[in-house]
Amino acid sequence: MMGKLLAAEFMKIKRKGIWFLTVLGPIGVVAMQMVNYGVRKDYLFGQNDDRWGYYLDNIHSFTPLAIVLGIVILTSFMSSIENETNAWKQLIALPVSKMSVYLSKFTVLSILLLTSSVLLMLFTMAFGLFLDLGGEIPYTGLLKYSFYPFFAALPVLALQLWIATVSVNQGVPITLGILGVILTYAGFTLPDWLIWKWPLLLNEWNEPLINVLLGIGAGVLLYTAGMIDFARRDVK
Amino acid sequence: MLSILKSEWFKLRKSKIFGILLVGPLIGLGAGIGADAVETAGAMNEWYMLLIYMNLPYSVLFLPLVTGVLASLVCRYEHQSGGWKQVLALPVTRGKVFAAKYVLILLLVLFIQLLYLAAIFGAGLYKGVADPFPAAIIWKSILGGWVATFPLVALQLWMSVWFKSFAAPFAVNVVFTLPSILAMNSEKVGPYYPWAQPFAMMYPATDTGDIFFIPWEQLLTVIGGFFLLFYLGGYFYFQRKAV
Repeated sequence: MMGKLLAAEFMKIKRKGIWFLTVLGPIGVVAMQMVNYGVRKDYLFGQNDDRWGYYLDNIHSFTPLAIVLGIVILTSFMSSIENETNAWKQLIALPVSKMSVYLSKFTVLSILLLTSSVLLMLFTMAFGLFLDLGGEIPYTGLLKYSFYPFFAALPVLALQLWIATVSVNQGVPITLGILGVILTYAGFTLPDWLIWKWPLLLNEWNEPLINVLLGIGAGVLLYTAGMIDFARRDVK
Repeated sequence: MLSILKSEWFKLRKSKIFGILLVGPLIGLGAGIGADAVETAGAMNEWYMLLIYMNLPYSVLFLPLVTGVLASLVCRYEHQSGGWKQVLALPVTRGKVFAAKYVLILLLVLFIQLLYLAAIFGAGLYKGVADPFPAAIIWKSILGGWVATFPLVALQLWMSVWFKSFAAPFAVNVVFTLPSILAMNSEKVGPYYPWAQPFAMMYPATDTGDIFFIPWEQLLTVIGGFFLLFYLGGYFYFQRKAV
């Protein structure tokens, strides 16, 4: 059943610009650094002897913002497919459980975001090689900076999907999303328990892996809460 | 025209609009209360410091992004079950409907700016700022920020009339707003980038040597020029839109 539901979800997101945005996100993040390095390459090279590390840090200055905003946009898109045309009734009337409908939406979103992460890694590496940063390519760092933010952002994904599916007015989840992205933007001054800070991979122990584990844990919790709430709600 | 504006307001009133209007000023208030302005105390008027701290999250991200939400909200009823047909079947012109929606969004943004002014004042009182309140500078910042959103609102209204979903116009908005984080630091691009203008216009500058201080004339040509471009684009799109 899950396979068919997923296939149906992928059919529904065709030709809506969703795949386009999935590709645009990582391109945008790397393009910012293309501009940054294009304008003041020599200055940036002089900042730090570990050019690859410094370059990855620069890339990472936009990744969290892009991932949080991407989540807000994609979750709202996914739920507005049914919301706009009042198709929830029709979807739920099929012989599928509400929980599996919710799971299929979440799975599709995770696949989209993981695709973005893979692309981010490839684009980051390609532009890094183009810049001729010298030294060994730090594959571990590349993997960390490309995939850790996704896992650390899972609670945000679960929360936004929850709010977006139960809101008739999509202005609500999007406004919450703006609030979230501002918390990410100002995250370095905020306490560690805020889920929007986690994609920055900062914590008082200086160990990004903690954010990943916390992200998965809190993500599962928020996902479960959202799924149960969705399953118990009346379909209008 | 006034009656169209009134009916637009009635449609919006019960759309959870008040909660949405409150978010920005609360962000500002939070940033103001959390601001660590002690080290700079005495160096300059503390209100300036407070304003700079509060403006950073508010004018760079919140203000440009919220224009999109407001524009989508204003078009929400029309996109549901043939609302455009019903509105345009009334004895009103499309141009007037477009203008009324535009004016309504501007009034909402002005309202947010005024709440933000209250938030500045509140944060200052909370922190016990003793310096005299620089009313002229702060009003200039509040109204300047409002004027800076004129072109952004016009583009977002165009996008919101075009797309049915909230997510699509918001995506357009995000794509243009994020680069302003880079643009506002650039002396070359910053003055010409419309999405960086709310920050530039709200930054309290006293002398012209500041890199964020952008000449009044230049701001008006950039803001005025892009306003005309986006407003006319949306206006003509709406004229020809099939409903």
